Amino acid sequence: MKNQLNRRDFIKLVGTAGGGLILAVYLDACASDAPIPATVTPLSPTSTPRPPFDWAPNIYLKMDQEGILTVYAFRSDMGQGIRTAIAMLIAEELDVEWSSVRIEQSPTDPRYGDQLTGGSVSISSHYSGLRLAGAVARQMLVEAAADVWDADPAGCTTEAGFVIHPDKQQKIPYGELVEAAAKKDVPDQTKIKDASAYRIVGTGKGHWDAPQIVSGKAIYGIDVRVPGMLFAVIARCPVFGGTFTSYDDSAAKTVPGVRQIVALDKSIAVVAENTWAAIQGRNALKVTWDEGRNASLSSEELRSAAKGRLPQLGSNDKVMDAVYEIPFEAHATMEPMNCTAYVHDETCEVWAPTQNPQAVQTQVAAATRISPPAVIVNVPLIGGAFGRRIQTDYAVEAALVSQAIGAPVQVVWTRDDDIQHDFYHDMSVHYASVVREKINIPRLQSSGSRSPVPTGAWRSVENFPQAYPTQCFIDEVAFELKRDPLDLRLELYSSRAAEVIKLAAEKAEWGKSLPAGQGQGLAYHATFGVTHVAYVAEVAVDEEGGVHVRRVVAAVDCGEVINPDNVAAQIEGGIVFGLTAAIKAEATLKDGRIQQSNFHDYPILKMNEMPLVEVYIVESDQRPSGMGEMGVPPIAPAVANAVFAATGKRIRHIPIRPEDLRA
Amino acid sequence: MPSYDLQINGQAYTVEAEAAMPLLWVLRDLLGLTGTKFSCGMGLCGSCTVLIDGEPARSCVTLVESATGKDITTIEGLSPGVSHPLQEAWLEEHVTQCGYCQPGQIMNAAALLQKNPHPTDAEIDVAMEDALCRCGTYQRVRKAIHRAAEEV
Repeated sequence: MKNQLNRRDFIKLVGTAGGGLILAVYLDACASDAPIPATVTPLSPTSTPRPPFDWAPNIYLKMDQEGILTVYAFRSDMGQGIRTAIAMLIAEELDVEWSSVRIEQSPTDPRYGDQLTGGSVSISSHYSGLRLAGAVARQMLVEAAADVWDADPAGCTTEAGFVIHPDKQQKIPYGELVEAAAKKDVPDQTKIKDASAYRIVGTGKGHWDAPQIVSGKAIYGIDVRVPGMLFAVIARCPVFGGTFTSYDDSAAKTVPGVRQIVALDKSIAVVAENTWAAIQGRNALKVTWDEGRNASLSSEELRSAAKGRLPQLGSNDKVMDAVYEIPFEAHATMEPMNCTAYVHDETCEVWAPTQNPQAVQTQVAAATRISPPAVIVNVPLIGGAFGRRIQTDYAVEAALVSQAIGAPVQVVWTRDDDIQHDFYHDMSVHYASVVREKINIPRLQSSGSRSPVPTGAWRSVENFPQAYPTQCFIDEVAFELKRDPLDLRLELYSSRAAEVIKLAAEKAEWGKSLPAGQGQGLAYHATFGVTHVAYVAEVAVDEEGGVHVRRVVAAVDCGEVINPDNVAAQIEGGIVFGLTAAIKAEATLKDGRIQQSNFHDYPILKMNEMPLVEVYIVESDQRPSGMGEMGVPPIAPAVANAVFAATGKRIRHIPIRPEDLRA
Repeated sequence: MPSYDLQINGQAYTVEAEAAMPLLWVLRDLLGLTGTKFSCGMGLCGSCTVLIDGEPARSCVTLVESATGKDITTIEGLSPGVSHPLQEAWLEEHVTQCGYCQPGQIMNAAALLQKNPHPTDAEIDVAMEDALCRCGTYQRVRKAIHRAAEEV
């Protein structure tokens, strides 16, 4: 029940508000259906100018005397829309017009809890706290207005940035009340809204930053400019775990604009007046690498070793089984890794496009031997992250370069740096099996690369390698049993899972007849066990073996929907991200290094390959369960299953390539 | 160091730059016009697209000297405010996710609409094929281009 806020929520909020009071919450809807009255109660004599005053009732928001609400986004937005969603929840409870909302990125602050943006939990773990943050502020404004009128606060209502008198004849704008509200104690009772009174939550708000983005004014990490700053590009050993033994920088130093060469622990930074000069300087640097013990590692070797750790295919008569293979995947964010840092006077300020600002603070502090509170982390907008920016490597190296040169510096990764020095989604091999006598959801036995290749979270993390083999193998089992893949799934899954499976199948007209070479494929997954997503993919396979995903029908149950348009966008985006892995790109290891370097050999999905995506959202009064990653996992198996329907070929690895399907 | 006269967004600039420096870095690092984005550096992704005499150009592989004497338009100069039909359509269709590639997408689309005010889906595919978006906004980019085409 979404209106029941547990005691832990109160303690969290009181702890942040510092009022030491226990909040009790009751559940009446607070919005009034009455039209806003015309008479505004005059408060401040216009002849006496007062200094500007901002009221900050808690760490989530402030309001100025114009009634402008500024919300502090304490999680990182990398395109998933969290800045907007946080603001929507607070603005909803506070009853302000959306046009009065501003968003500022918060500093690092332990009072926000862990600020790592990952696991798609920013809303689900802060839902109650954010609503309370807004509701408490609203209550304090109401009490301030009631004082002015000498009215009963319980009879006052709010709407669109005004407190409205119980008689509905007078109103006071919030901005006029902030000074008085600031003197109010944090209330011991407040109301939160019932869903029937929502005016913002559940409406499509897009992304608040969009006007800045489409006009080129949005500032991403790579756009940060600090007076006197220099730019650096770093030479890193192409083999994982390697380091340099020596380098000759004589040619690099002659590149116009190159200022300085800085040796770091295992890499060498070329510092220059602009990014281009830094890139040219690095190209001119002659480095002798000690490639170390990994210099002969290859994907084939790692995959074969991973297979060896799993049961032999066909070794047990009592089970149906299959083995599926997933390669290393890169994040390939459109904004390459970068960070700007300025170390001076025992302090460090960094501008890091990061999902993990508190870890940046800690790691930069450790590397520079500056005390953590003296490391200030600013989080600008982020040009894609997908888990890559949980890592702090690029921020630490920027701080170290700045410390070495005594000037602000922006370290920029080129695209080949980005593809070749990622923290990859690990390669994995999966043995899927089902006991013949007891058909159930397949059992997976999985093995990763167990290699020195750096690995890390990649959008949906373990869910992608769970969903792909599981959902492909359910189709294989259905085929062997001569069952329809939809019917078998409805036998294996129940409740919310079955509901989205049925909805997607119905909307896609599951089982409709398609021309030769085309097919439908179904897959379902509950990412992190909380958000239920089912896809029906329609695929055409051409004579050359090319896979064309024409249409994807998606059904989603993510609990209460904050920003429905963004839920659809996250599904569309998850499908595109997953399709790149399913039919386009992989990172391969040879001689201890990643062979790909840019979008020509790590090709991400293009406009002309975009399927028509239709999204159906299940109405729900469950708490919101997260959307950032949930669109990814079911697409690869839905496509693989559709490819089988189209061609009769079971492809048990991704990406599916034309050579796999050529007749 | 050679000096170049550039006409960017209707404004005259004189910059001193290496002859081999791509226009992208002139815009971003020398002139502070950071709306044009760096992503691949090889003309593969379209994030750095600007208009040169109305033609879409990958500024990361366009030498600064080749842009002298021509009319350069960056995302900052596409419209006063956010008033170009494409920008308005982008907001209406809620296209942006991370947003990083979007200036390039919009500049590509602007070049398309200048030549072809009412493109079909197939024509959009051709014109936008090499404008990459890792967030997967393509479906909305397509809708926004159609919406803007109606406005033009």
